Amino acid sequence: MSKIIEVHHLFKSFGAMEAVKDVSFYVEEGSLFSFLGTNGAGKSTTISILLTLLKQDAGVVKVNGLTVGKDDDAIRNEIGVVFQQSILDPLLTVKENLDYRARLYKMTKEERLAAIDRVADTVDISSIMQRRYGKLSGGQKRRVDIARGLLHQPKILLLDEPTTGLDPQNRKQIWNTILELQRKTNMTVFLTTHYIEEAANSNFVVVMKEGEIIAKGTPHYLKSQYSANRLMIIAKNPAQLRSQFQTDKLAFTEEHSTFLIQLEKTTDAIVLLAKYEELIDSFEVQKSSLDDVFIQIHNGKDDIHHDGCYEA
Amino acid sequence: MMAVTKRNILLYFRDKSALFFSLLAVIILVVLYGTFLGNLISDSLPDFLAKKWLLLSWIFAGILAVTSVTTTLGAFGTMVEDRSTEADLDFYASPIKRSSLFGGYVMSSIFVGFIMCLLVLLTANAIFFFSGDEMLTYIQLFKVVGVIGLSVISSSSMILLLVSFFKTVKAFAAASTVIGTLLGFLAGIYIPIGNLPAYLQIIIKLFPTSHSAALFRQILMEQPLQETFAQAPESAKHEFLKDMGVFYEINGSLTSPTFSVLYLIGIAVFFSILAVVLLKRKRS
Repeated sequence: MSKIIEVHHLFKSFGAMEAVKDVSFYVEEGSLFSFLGTNGAGKSTTISILLTLLKQDAGVVKVNGLTVGKDDDAIRNEIGVVFQQSILDPLLTVKENLDYRARLYKMTKEERLAAIDRVADTVDISSIMQRRYGKLSGGQKRRVDIARGLLHQPKILLLDEPTTGLDPQNRKQIWNTILELQRKTNMTVFLTTHYIEEAANSNFVVVMKEGEIIAKGTPHYLKSQYSANRLMIIAKNPAQLRSQFQTDKLAFTEEHSTFLIQLEKTTDAIVLLAKYEELIDSFEVQKSSLDDVFIQIHNGKDDIHHDGCYEA
Repeated sequence: MMAVTKRNILLYFRDKSALFFSLLAVIILVVLYGTFLGNLISDSLPDFLAKKWLLLSWIFAGILAVTSVTTTLGAFGTMVEDRSTEADLDFYASPIKRSSLFGGYVMSSIFVGFIMCLLVLLTANAIFFFSGDEMLTYIQLFKVVGVIGLSVISSSSMILLLVSFFKTVKAFAAASTVIGTLLGFLAGIYIPIGNLPAYLQIIIKLFPTSHSAALFRQILMEQPLQETFAQAPESAKHEFLKDMGVFYEINGSLTSPTFSVLYLIGIAVFFSILAVVLLKRKRS
């Protein structure tokens, strides 16, 4: 697969604030790419540069072989954007909105009508074409926003926190739309999010913090790299188990009379459980979720939280 | 550019409150004339032939001048709103030039101002018809339309510069109200220039909208003036024209229509260049 977006040593400052510090990454054509980070991590600055809305201080950004800063108009034809906030006109109908935006791409009337029909079909908004954009629900607006981004059949669809502010049901629907779109059209989908569970669907994740990339890889890789497993034991007799662990020189921590033991892998628990079976009242093996991974990447290993996975 | 222009025009006419507020100054003006300003002005003048027709023409000339500014200003609200809601990012991320985007805002406001002024003109002509006065001739209508175009273009160039200072819709709305109200004074529309102190007269003569008002008056009042001053001495007519701001006295002689036209063109060119320079500097 070829690299459709390439970012080399990107820098951008606003006054004394360094928003992006030496960021490099690439996106493979046809992939679903997630750009993860909390607010103020530098995601928005990076994508603004990618969208030709901002000029970088240093570094090279290439979109489908075109260089940002040199071939801006051509790049704008390659990328479709779904902005975080609603940018369409509330007083115009969905159809009017799409029509006026399609005109920005020098389409003839026939081309515009065909494009509007096509995108309406793709995101399933045909039934609300005559309604005013301002009167739509959050989920419907988002669909129309996506439709607008698809008008000119871009090679890359960039979505900036597409599900922020949506209820869980709408969030799921929008996600299904995005995933289906990517599967059917093989379009490259680039999205930013601060929800790690959304990034789990993607082919590749880049995590940013304070203007720098602090982790990158497939969701699976990140999970295996940063996740931790532990064994939680409730003892029949805490004092006895404690002294036994101390004699065996087994590293453990104690929280409210439960014993916690860090594991390399979950199966390591089997040996321990067999060994101390007599002393155990109940136990649980916990594997960290992607959320924990995200927090871990951000904060270091100490703060990790666990979700129960394997009940005794 | 046409896409942005059409969109902006549609937004202006769809946004009923913006439409109303851009006409607010005009509505206030009409109410003021109807309640007391009209009588006040009428009482300050001696009785003469065709007085009502003459004053009505004068009033409509003023309304046209105010409309040409406030509706243009109102249409520019879209630009401020796009910027404050960051809706303009979508245009910047599209393959259109920034100049086309700004051109679109300017074109749409010129169009809106033009259409709204035409509506005022049609209303004026209809009122002349129903009150039994002579309607405007085709040549006069043609001239008025020309002055409307000129007035709207020069207003639009000044407003473009003004608008670049406003970041929020609220600040812009507040400024629009103040401008709409001040306009009536600064162009000698609420109170005729002759009734004002000398320093205000100087400001009025410098203020571009006063010159649109003067040009409108010259055309709209042509017929009633002939009737009123058919028998009167030339000096009386001269005084009246000067006091009512039909012509302005600069260096002892009355300004010619050509002077006012050139003044408006000069203003349009000057402010357009200034706005373009400022917008370009802002970008880099």
